[in-house]
Amino acid sequence: MTALLDKAPLGVAVRIARIDWNAMTDDEGRRLREFGLMEGVEVTPLHRGSIFSRDPLALAVGRMRVIIRARQAAMIAVEAAEAERQSA
Amino acid sequence: MTGAIPTIALVGNPNAGKSSLFNALTGARQKIANYPGVTVERKAGHASFADGRPISLIDLPGSYSLTPASPDEAVTRDVILGRQDGEKRPDALVVVLDAANLDNHLCFALELIALGLPTVVALNMLDLATRDGLTLDPERLSKELGVPVVPTVAVRKRGLAELLAALDGAIRTQPARTEAGAAGKAAPSDTSLHQRARAIARAATLAETPVRRWTQRVDAVVLHPVAGFLILLALMFVMFQAVYAWAGPPADLLEGAVGVMQQWVIAAIPENFLRDLVVEGLLAGVGAVVVFLPQILILFLFILLLEASGYMTRAAFLMDGLMAKVGLSGRGFIPLLSSFACAVPGIMATRAIPDAKDRLTTILIAPLMTCSARLPVYALIIAAFIPDRGVGGTNIGLQGLVLFGLYLSGIVGALLVAFALRRTVAKGDAAGFMMEMPRYQMPQWRDLLLGLWQRAWIFLRRAGTIIAMTTVILWLLLSFPKAPIGESQVEYSVAGRIASGLEVIVKPIGFNHDIALALIPAMAAREVAVSAMATANAIDADGDEDAMAQSLGERLQGKWSIATALAFLAWFVFAPQCISTIAITRRETNGWKWPMFMVGYLFLLAYAAAGITYWTAVAFGLG
Repeated sequence: MTALLDKAPLGVAVRIARIDWNAMTDDEGRRLREFGLMEGVEVTPLHRGSIFSRDPLALAVGRMRVIIRARQAAMIAVEAAEAERQSA
Repeated sequence: MTGAIPTIALVGNPNAGKSSLFNALTGARQKIANYPGVTVERKAGHASFADGRPISLIDLPGSYSLTPASPDEAVTRDVILGRQDGEKRPDALVVVLDAANLDNHLCFALELIALGLPTVVALNMLDLATRDGLTLDPERLSKELGVPVVPTVAVRKRGLAELLAALDGAIRTQPARTEAGAAGKAAPSDTSLHQRARAIARAATLAETPVRRWTQRVDAVVLHPVAGFLILLALMFVMFQAVYAWAGPPADLLEGAVGVMQQWVIAAIPENFLRDLVVEGLLAGVGAVVVFLPQILILFLFILLLEASGYMTRAAFLMDGLMAKVGLSGRGFIPLLSSFACAVPGIMATRAIPDAKDRLTTILIAPLMTCSARLPVYALIIAAFIPDRGVGGTNIGLQGLVLFGLYLSGIVGALLVAFALRRTVAKGDAAGFMMEMPRYQMPQWRDLLLGLWQRAWIFLRRAGTIIAMTTVILWLLLSFPKAPIGESQVEYSVAGRIASGLEVIVKPIGFNHDIALALIPAMAAREVAVSAMATANAIDADGDEDAMAQSLGERLQGKWSIATALAFLAWFVFAPQCISTIAITRRETNGWKWPMFMVGYLFLLAYAAAGITYWTAVAFGLG
């Protein structure tokens, strides 16, 4: 069961199943990888937007926190992470 | 070793603490903050090995890889590869890693080590990693990477001697491989690079506890969709109120000091041309601007605190949604907020914006942010024309509220202009927004004071050069030719006649002769408008004891209507009167096209805004 990262609930760790590299520019894709976002990695969506919009999205990737736009998050398919890692 | 001084470059990811390490090694005066992309200028300094041999250090902009995504990252790549004009290829590299973020920072490190230059890794901010529950093994890391690894804590100056010793050793024992040798090896794909980085990070990590919780707790409030935004607004409101509330006593002190100096010069020098030049030109003009130093320092203190604590990136996060609606990104918030202090560093900070059109738009609207040079003008007019009382029986000052309104007009104007530009001259794809959020950090008092001292120095140097020079020239133009008895000297002078020409153009928007006179020298810098009026009034009051005793504000009160004063304020929200900003825009956009465009559209807006304000105020009977 996979869903897209831009719709993923906040505070719940998920595993990246697939990233649609073709839908984004080379620069975007590389920067995502530089942030450690790639297949198999666990991420936790933390914060989403302000009163003005649902953009952007703050994620925890390992010990790093990164900000991406919902447009990019929509290119990332995620699945549930293992149960023992879900406690927050 | 040859006799030449070796050049060593500090490289690393944004937020690795590179600038702090650079400061600790060189004692150089420069700004430290922890949002990505602060180090956009070339920063160089000197240090020496234990035996006294000097080395030259350069601090390169933070990057994630050797494939640049923005102009400042391109500088990093070009310097390291020896392609940057005017910069020789470094003899060795210090790769700075955030000890708490190894899996990500090691990617760039691996890429750099593969280049074959003598390299030492600084495992920085080890204390914070320990606080976060990480136990690392530097020796294992060194074995995996094949280069020396030295644990450092830059802000506490720990590990510096060891780092220099390792660097000395590396330069002696790791001969630089030839360009061909390094380039001949095919670069690994970035995915395999990441896998290797993660494997090495795992091997070097002895123990790990779950991530820091208190940053999470603070962020839950600060980044809350509603509360977070209110906090940001409240912070900015407090900042602008403080500029007024706290600056009073020190400003009075400075004003008194200028008066004492004027009296002293009058007593010491017999009445002649030189005495008039010093008293009416230099002291009246420069003094009128220096009085605003306390306000400027308070504003900078807030901005430095926000940067150093890590809050600035959170503000960018909160603002991104709003900025996306006008085609900008949260990235632009940092240069724009810096522009509240001064548009010049603000425009330079746009180099961290990856998208070219997004960057151009941000540059073009940066002058709309109310910079500190406008404060003297606003402060003078507000103090003279807006009553000093609370609003509706509260402690919120009306004067501070008007100031807040002026800042807000600049921001709203900027957003509207950005909206229009992104649909016309700077059309392009929606800008992206990808940024790393640093953890919160306690600002270091030493760094804050250093930053404030730099600002004070820059401001005073400006007062001492540009402002002093334009005031003296203006004084000369105002003093000659000498008016016959019974005629106004200011009206009769060369400057007065030029101003009379300009007055024809600005009369419809409520500007009088005083203002027309002040606008010309204010092209050099906005605050010169204040010193110009001070100089003109000092000449006008020549010999008249009562007039001399009045402050500039009191004198303007007698001569201007409220409608004129408000129109003057509205003018300065938009007018592009700053030669430095125009020059930096030319440099950053590589040509005259965009600075000319900027000056044109801003003058049009300034004229329209002043006009509308004036006509509205007159309609309400304030003329």
